[in-house]
Amino acid sequence: MARVSVSCSVDDEHLPSIGAVAEALRERGLDVAQVLDGVGVITGEVADDRRGALQEVPGVLSVDADLPVQLPPPDSPVQ
Amino acid sequence: MIESGSSSGGWEATGSGSPVSTAQTTGRYVVVFEDGAEPQETLTAAAGLSSMADSRDFDSQAMDMAQTEGSEATVFAELGIAVVAIDPERLGAMQTSQAARGAIVDVAPELIHHVLTEPADYLRGYRDGVNDLAGRLGGDEDEAAGDSAAQAGPSASFADNDEFTWGLQATRVSTSSRSGDGVKVAVLDTGLDATHPDFVGRDITAASFIPGASPHDGHGHGTHCIGTACGPKAPSGSRRYGVAYECDIFTGKVLSDEGSGSDAGILAGINWAVANDCAVISMSLGADIARPHPPYSTAGRRALARGSLIIAAAGNNANRPGDKGFVGAPANSPDILAVGALDSRLRVARFSARSLPGRGGQVDVAGPGVDVYSSWPMPTRYHTISGTSMATPHVAGLAALWSKATGRRGLELWATLAKESRRLPRPSVDVGSGLSLAGW
Repeated sequence: MARVSVSCSVDDEHLPSIGAVAEALRERGLDVAQVLDGVGVITGEVADDRRGALQEVPGVLSVDADLPVQLPPPDSPVQ
Repeated sequence: MIESGSSSGGWEATGSGSPVSTAQTTGRYVVVFEDGAEPQETLTAAAGLSSMADSRDFDSQAMDMAQTEGSEATVFAELGIAVVAIDPERLGAMQTSQAARGAIVDVAPELIHHVLTEPADYLRGYRDGVNDLAGRLGGDEDEAAGDSAAQAGPSASFADNDEFTWGLQATRVSTSSRSGDGVKVAVLDTGLDATHPDFVGRDITAASFIPGASPHDGHGHGTHCIGTACGPKAPSGSRRYGVAYECDIFTGKVLSDEGSGSDAGILAGINWAVANDCAVISMSLGADIARPHPPYSTAGRRALARGSLIIAAAGNNANRPGDKGFVGAPANSPDILAVGALDSRLRVARFSARSLPGRGGQVDVAGPGVDVYSSWPMPTRYHTISGTSMATPHVAGLAALWSKATGRRGLELWATLAKESRRLPRPSVDVGSGLSLAGW
């Protein structure tokens, strides 16, 4: 099963207890990489078929697959 | 009916066709006092006035204007302004008196105002003719750089000179005394070449959010953007290219030397900048998706609320005149300020993305983004490239100047940037409120 990098956005109400939200996500299969308490987002890796389960955790606004960003090469005239 | 008001007055077409001011006055004068000056005391000392009506004497300061008619002066206490009835001779004496010094800021004739109405028939025809011509010349569907006939408007043309890049001239940084001293500016990009001579002695905090990579810039993009936002006032042997030359630099490497990155690193960079109380977070990066990406919207909202304004590139996915592109993520999040790119004639750059229709997808302001000269990793030292990536750090640097000058952060700083921009005869879907400007 493919694993995907995701960002889990936490709602305002659960921001003070973001650690507990991270724990709940861990229990549902998220391999937690970062708990960014300043902006209220938890990042990590999860098996593709368990993404939906993460969404069910109280306090989780949204679970989104990582968006890749790519700059043009250094010698490109437009960057 | 002629409209009148303030110093621009009304206008009417004279025989020569040029507008003439015809403001009507009452014969009285409006006196503006310094903050802290006491109007009645000042008027007594400076002009010998004694009979004065003061708003503070009325319930809720609702002055009964009929009661004030016989007074020599009517004082509006909350505004620090008075309307004074004296003849021009006594006025002159008042303005030059000792008591006026440090107390009176300005004196102007009291104007008569009228309800604004439609101009007379002959003027209406003239107006309609001008509007028709302007519409033909300034047609918004063909406003691409290189299609000069279609982008009429005030003729603007800037060029790099020995002292300043064209961009610093256009944004009026070249004539500003501001430096953004002590404002923390985070640039989330490919990092910084800290060995570059132009950054020696600067207050720099560096971090890498790319696993296994140091904060060093092995691409160039980051050094170029940091140069534009924060470069020195007098780089040795080079024209000036940087805006906030005394800001505190926070360089977060969220893109690899190959120019790639993802949410995890970028969000970590934003979190770091917010935790370090950076007033400005400059992000010349993005992904071409036509809707807000929820984690950026969440991070943007919280960062803004905590006083960190995120300024991001609108995107380079246009190919004008045909393809206008669209604002990608993270710039298309509602609480992230999106920057479009202009060329040295203040036309919308060929590649500059247009606003998306949804909330958040607007281009908010524009900055110099074509042929932008700035620093580059050693030994190359300097390089000239284009992009909404280059427009973004101009605005980030300007945000630092405004933040230092006004003390504003977050949404108030955003409003300041929108307010203090040069309105352009270009569609707002492409330039927002226009070219961001430095203050004096």
